[in-house]
Amino acid sequence: MSYNFKEMCWKDVRDQFRKWREDNERRSDEVIQLWEALLENHVQKTGNERHLILEQVLIAGFDTSRLDIAGKCIETLSIEFPESMRVMKFEAMRLEALQMYEEATDLLDEIISKDETNAAPRKRKIAILKARGMRSEAIKDLSEYLKTFMSDQEAWHELCGLYLAEGDYSKAVFCMEELLLHNPHSHLIHQRIAEIRYTMGGMENVEIARIYYSQALKLNPNNLRALYGLYLCCSYITNSRALGSKRKEAQKMAQWALETAGVRTISSSKIPSNDKLVSSLECALGSLDIKSN
Amino acid sequence: MGTKIVNRIMLITGLISLLHAAFSAAHHRTYLRLTEQDWTHLPVDVIVQTVVSLLVVVYNLIQVVGNFKEIRATVDMQEKSWDTLGNLPSFYTFNHRGMALYQNYEAEPTTNIGNKSSLDVDY
Repeated sequence: MSYNFKEMCWKDVRDQFRKWREDNERRSDEVIQLWEALLENHVQKTGNERHLILEQVLIAGFDTSRLDIAGKCIETLSIEFPESMRVMKFEAMRLEALQMYEEATDLLDEIISKDETNAAPRKRKIAILKARGMRSEAIKDLSEYLKTFMSDQEAWHELCGLYLAEGDYSKAVFCMEELLLHNPHSHLIHQRIAEIRYTMGGMENVEIARIYYSQALKLNPNNLRALYGLYLCCSYITNSRALGSKRKEAQKMAQWALETAGVRTISSSKIPSNDKLVSSLECALGSLDIKSN
Repeated sequence: MGTKIVNRIMLITGLISLLHAAFSAAHHRTYLRLTEQDWTHLPVDVIVQTVVSLLVVVYNLIQVVGNFKEIRATVDMQEKSWDTLGNLPSFYTFNHRGMALYQNYEAEPTTNIGNKSSLDVDY
């Protein structure tokens, strides 16, 4: 997405930045572009929000390798808050972006020794391990970290991602279930658990996956991915050696899921009157299905 | 934005009118005491003024303060996508394609001469 810079004023940019911060979006490239084009000269007017904006911009700067911008932001912050742990953490992140991992780790260790309860530098150390490709060490450290900071959702999420990268699905599911306890209403977490279960394979896991997909659909009927996942689970059960009644039920459900998915695809598509395209695609997919069986 | 200003003016007028109603009630009590009559009830116009200005204040306060949030827990969640939920700011790593993609990247001359990685390209 590109923006028409001439039509935006710095207040729009500030609101846009706030929205991105609240929605937890990365958007580093856009942040840097808008910062350079508009907000840089008006940042003094943003009041209390200024420090948050500076942090957002400096992380975006690391992301897009604009170390000049990031350096300037750190400088501004460190003049205002000398000796601040938070600013020191950003300094460590700068070293990280320069790939000076040893120095970054030393700096983070220093922060931790000053403030034992500070979670952020510990997380950064794990991120450094991840960046160096030492995934098993990262997993070990993160599990150790989670023993102390058990309610850290982000860390559970990250651990799940690391286990997935290692292919250790049963442990990844455990982490996701931990997250589910924190957000029982999140359809995405239900969907994720179902996906991992489906990937694990086997009759039992696919049954569980079907249940989680159904719950995800119940929480958000517009979740097309869960709908398609439900279809896959049900067709797996239909083709398995399960009881006859179970198979029939699964077949019905699969048909419903496919029909609903078709209706949703047609209604949300931007191409007008695409019924033909969808039906021909379905034909093609259907023939694929027969061959794979 | 225009309606917000109207709401704000209405809110201030409502508050002033509410204060005025309180003042008239107190005034009425002193008047009764001076004329040595028994206190039975407030005059109707004061009661009407109180109720009306209270309603005006409540309505305009709601308009000024901000939008309502959805009471159902799932509705907020429905809007989210995996892109934002799976984004973990404390575990960002920076050795990704961003390094090579952004053309205006220039290595800082002072610090990383000795630490050039294979990803750094001279433009």
